[in-house]
Amino acid sequence: MNSTYPGSLADRLQPLLLRVERPSRYLGGEWNSPDIPAESTSVVFAYPDVYEIGMSNLGLAILAEVVNDIEGASAERAYAPWLDMEAEMRREGIPLFSLETKRPVASADIFGISIPHELTFTNVLNLIDLAGLPLRASDRTGGPIVVGGGCGVTNPEPLAAYFDLFVLGEGEEVIGTLVEMVTRAKSQGWGRMRLLEEASRLRGVYRPDDYLPEYADDGTLKEMIPQGGAARKVTKNLVDLDDWLYPSHPVVPFCEAVHDRLNVELFRGCTRGCRFCQAGMTYRPVRERTAGEVVKLVDQLAQSTGHDEVSLCSLSSTDYSRIADVTSRVAQVCEHRRMIMSLPSLRMDAMSAELASRLDRGGRGGLTFAPEAGSQRLRLVINKPIAERDMVDAVMFAVRAGRRRIKLYFMIGLPTETDEDVAEIAKLVFRLRDAVKAEKLTPPSFKVSVSTFVPKPHTPFQWCPQITGDEIRHRQDILKETLRARSVNLSWHDREMSKVEGLLARGDRRLGRMLENCWAAGGRFDSWSDHFDFERWMRAAADSGIDPDFYLYRQRRPDEVFPWDHLDFGVDKKFLLAELSRAMEATTTPDCRVAECSECGVCEGLAVEPVLKGSDS
Amino acid sequence: MCAADSPLRLRVQFTKQGQARYLSHSEYARTLMISARRAGLPLEYAGTNMSRMKVSLSPPLPIGVTSDCELVDFNLTSYVPAAEACDLLGKATPDGIAPAKCRLMGPEAKPVGKVIDTAVFAAAFPETVGGGELEDAVERFSEMSTLPYQRVQPRRTRTVDIRAGVHGLEVVGETEGRVSLKMTVDDGIAGTIKPWEVVEVISGMAGIGREVWQQAEVNRTGLFSRRGDRLISPMDAGAGRSGAGRGARGVSY
Repeated sequence: MNSTYPGSLADRLQPLLLRVERPSRYLGGEWNSPDIPAESTSVVFAYPDVYEIGMSNLGLAILAEVVNDIEGASAERAYAPWLDMEAEMRREGIPLFSLETKRPVASADIFGISIPHELTFTNVLNLIDLAGLPLRASDRTGGPIVVGGGCGVTNPEPLAAYFDLFVLGEGEEVIGTLVEMVTRAKSQGWGRMRLLEEASRLRGVYRPDDYLPEYADDGTLKEMIPQGGAARKVTKNLVDLDDWLYPSHPVVPFCEAVHDRLNVELFRGCTRGCRFCQAGMTYRPVRERTAGEVVKLVDQLAQSTGHDEVSLCSLSSTDYSRIADVTSRVAQVCEHRRMIMSLPSLRMDAMSAELASRLDRGGRGGLTFAPEAGSQRLRLVINKPIAERDMVDAVMFAVRAGRRRIKLYFMIGLPTETDEDVAEIAKLVFRLRDAVKAEKLTPPSFKVSVSTFVPKPHTPFQWCPQITGDEIRHRQDILKETLRARSVNLSWHDREMSKVEGLLARGDRRLGRMLENCWAAGGRFDSWSDHFDFERWMRAAADSGIDPDFYLYRQRRPDEVFPWDHLDFGVDKKFLLAELSRAMEATTTPDCRVAECSECGVCEGLAVEPVLKGSDS
Repeated sequence: MCAADSPLRLRVQFTKQGQARYLSHSEYARTLMISARRAGLPLEYAGTNMSRMKVSLSPPLPIGVTSDCELVDFNLTSYVPAAEACDLLGKATPDGIAPAKCRLMGPEAKPVGKVIDTAVFAAAFPETVGGGELEDAVERFSEMSTLPYQRVQPRRTRTVDIRAGVHGLEVVGETEGRVSLKMTVDDGIAGTIKPWEVVEVISGMAGIGREVWQQAEVNRTGLFSRRGDRLISPMDAGAGRSGAGRGARGVSY
């Protein structure tokens, strides 16, 4: 444990490590962890969950690589300490520290917090508090600037009071600019306010202080008023993947991370247009890496990490232009290096016998597919029109390739869903099983995971109500009754967690106080079912004068102003509304990769085009 | 490297010091396997196209305990000189873990996990603890024929005879003003007596408070097979006998 850095807490941490679970979470010093120069513009990237989850986050690894490549700048990591460690740290007066140098996070220049989803919001507040910083941005007069980013900032409004800045979209370019600006600010003696003002002018940087919400009498948002000449909208950042570094020496943890493998990004963005999918809307347009680059990265990273599995990741990996070619070439690298290859986000209508045989040869795991809905009608509503024939084929390919486990993801609570649609989930699973039996093959075991649909901002379903807890229970009961078979294992999400997730997902700044109250009452690790306390959330809501039903179960007017409307992720609100209409008519919108432009507004609004380089070598 | 005539086992003695002492046994095992992959050793895996490495590890070391002697067998698919393997591993392991010795074993050699039954630990007490009080406790402990100890584990609590599992116990000279308790205990296939259990019992008998003995620094100094009164190191077992592979007979580095 490195205690040579001025201000390092290493010596004070040592005694704590023997008193907590998994001390390796707090060690640092893993393979490929960078050497940090003592004097530099220092960025600490924090993830609001435990180390083994945070270490799987590719975004933070990419940003750290970018910062560490800047002369005179350094990036370190911090993760949410588990409850036992937090208690020890608070008892001993030890603030949140970085893993690399064990210096207090408060001594850094930039404190970047990744916000992956709504149920980490209390942990986000806890990170700021543990760092010893005033919780509210308006109370901070010194210390690092607190910057949020990641998937969770598509609607950061419930967190607005606690962050100095948010970065919308991809952070590679803007983090470099921000680091250079902070370096200049330090050398020229800028005050904090000037730094924040200058930073707020950078593309994709959203300073919540620059916008003042005004609410109508019915409780809806009337307007988000820009202050001091701020732009009417803040537009997300996009990068050309080829122009930016990809982590060539990613840190390899001592313990098993949740995604314990190499992650090589095939492409960003997705144009399939699934109407429930926030990432599919906000990460547009599609930008692919060349197949040659992907193969080269797999080989390099295998050498530099020692991992035995590589995941070719993206939002829908089988949509890569030359997926057969790239998987064939990566399979050769894997053969040579004794690795296995996996593809997350497999589409059932893009499976082939060839692909099934290449993935994870030896059958270490099963294969996972996401039909999302049981009935064809509902799959048309959500614009994921996978034909049942394709599903049967996908399962047959998997079984013939030796897979004995198939995991299927479904959602309940999708707009227009009926009890019959829910019952169709069970029927579909049994038809898939029977199709395998009909071929005189041993049917795999089916693990059916059913989550509750939560309407998300920037999607066509952002106007729709979420189903109530009673409805969730009723639909889950239908599945429990109908999906009974020895070879089928059914699991479902906690309906109360879905309720809190939905509340925060489309929340506004008024939810900040509720969030703070929940955190102050001990809210931590809410995405962990054994630590989630629904009653604590409801008490916090009541104490803050928040009516959750207003946010959860209300059908929004088509012209309603949303708390995230001033945050421009490229997709036009008119397009989203048109998509909602098409959904109600069960009409699909084709993928613009293969069909004509769907006029989502991204290419025109952001002056970009889809980049399909998969076929280039 | 060239193809092996018969299966080869590379036995490596690692040291585990510094921050590596906070790694659990499973984390340590993973660390060694990743290190071996990074070192580019010709490793053998179970089954085809499965990333399941064939390794055998010495008994788990409690978290927080350092070690001069952690033994691992890696099954190899082709011959690689022990010195070269040692060098490659040295470059591939993280801070705190380092290969001290490597040796090629023949196919008839039992995996290291199946031969170790005894470990030697040294517990260095804080400077405030004098040798006299410990020596008296050790003498009384040695005179006992049995000593029940309640072992509290997350899922169950059971009583073990700690005396029966301790085969040697002595207070060794002061180094840097600290006295150490050297203990030879069951560890491995014959059962396990944890060093902290012995430290706790002896400290209790010597009237040393928990807050003091918990500051002791424990180090595993050796792992052995017990043959009567003799302790045989698996690194030396079968030295000079045939079957260690071409050009590697009885050679260690």
